[in-house]
Amino acid sequence: MVNPTRNTGRPLNPKDRVTKKDLSKGQQPMIHRRVKIKHVLIVLTLIAIGAGIFFMLFQNEEKRVKKQFHLLSEAVSKETGENIFTLNQKIKKIGSLFNETCDLHIPAHSISGQMTREEITGYAARGRIHFRELHLKFHDFNITFPKEGEAKARLTARLTGNTATGEAINEAHEIECLLGKIEKKWMFDRIEVVEVLKK
Amino acid sequence: MALNRRVFQFFFPSLTPAFMIRVGCIALATYLIFGHLLTPFQIKGSSMEPTYQNGEVNFCWKLRYLFSKPKRGDVVVIRFTGQRITLLKRVIALENEEIEFRHGKLLINGKEQDEPYLQGSYDWTLPARRVEPDSVYVVGDNRKGPMQNHIFGQTSLTRILGGPLW
Repeated sequence: MVNPTRNTGRPLNPKDRVTKKDLSKGQQPMIHRRVKIKHVLIVLTLIAIGAGIFFMLFQNEEKRVKKQFHLLSEAVSKETGENIFTLNQKIKKIGSLFNETCDLHIPAHSISGQMTREEITGYAARGRIHFRELHLKFHDFNITFPKEGEAKARLTARLTGNTATGEAINEAHEIECLLGKIEKKWMFDRIEVVEVLKK
Repeated sequence: MALNRRVFQFFFPSLTPAFMIRVGCIALATYLIFGHLLTPFQIKGSSMEPTYQNGEVNFCWKLRYLFSKPKRGDVVVIRFTGQRITLLKRVIALENEEIEFRHGKLLINGKEQDEPYLQGSYDWTLPARRVEPDSVYVVGDNRKGPMQNHIFGQTSLTRILGGPLW
């Protein structure tokens, strides 16, 4: 029997001791198994917590691009009984997310071509009137950076809610967007709805 | 007393290395099976009624078309950008086939098709069109209401994730 020399501050369990039999199998001497596993688990937990905090706090470019979509989703979404103040704030917000001009291609709504920021906000304001409740969510982001100051995002947009006449809306579209970086802020340059099912 | 200890042990097991390895293996197997092979999904909408009802839960079997292509009549799961949002539709025409709807009848290469999965009649008319190579033509089983309100059409085979498990 080889007794561990390390003082752990509590009586040792005979099962945890490294025996001569273990030594012949290549077992490390002088190391208390339980202590070793405990330390490894503590280190792994600390690494996991550290990595989690790092990824949560570190704002990389991909996160900044995603944030623009999150802001667009918030601005487009509408709750029942939305007041005029909230409406104005949201419309302003939509305008601030787009570049001076933006290429829009939405065949389902017969929109194709370049629109100015004002035209987009006007269109958004008119469009929102037709809905009593509207929720826009983005999923499955695939973001690439083809060149400096340009981001290409492919994602799925899901629109749910109710029209003013009470008709339920549940639509999903694949979208391809091009964003440009202007004064450290990502702005929408192009939005195109990809045709998944071609009639 | 022994039973109580066993029950306690079941709900609050000792965090031994063997237990941790078992938990790790189960977590890995669950991730692989339900994340990549049999992904669960919930049906939202009535486009596949009466075959699949709104709110039903099913699993997408990803290996369904690993060695074969979808056949006419198969129900397939179609992806958008990723796998979070998908469409559930029935394949009605295969590549290079000509598809047409004429007054509520489906015609493939000019021949009227029997569709036992449909409930009730519909009145769609869509001029003939040929399905492109490496694509299939899909449509829902619920064809009530005007054709313009329905999502259907030709899609690439690469967009097909698999088929529902049942």
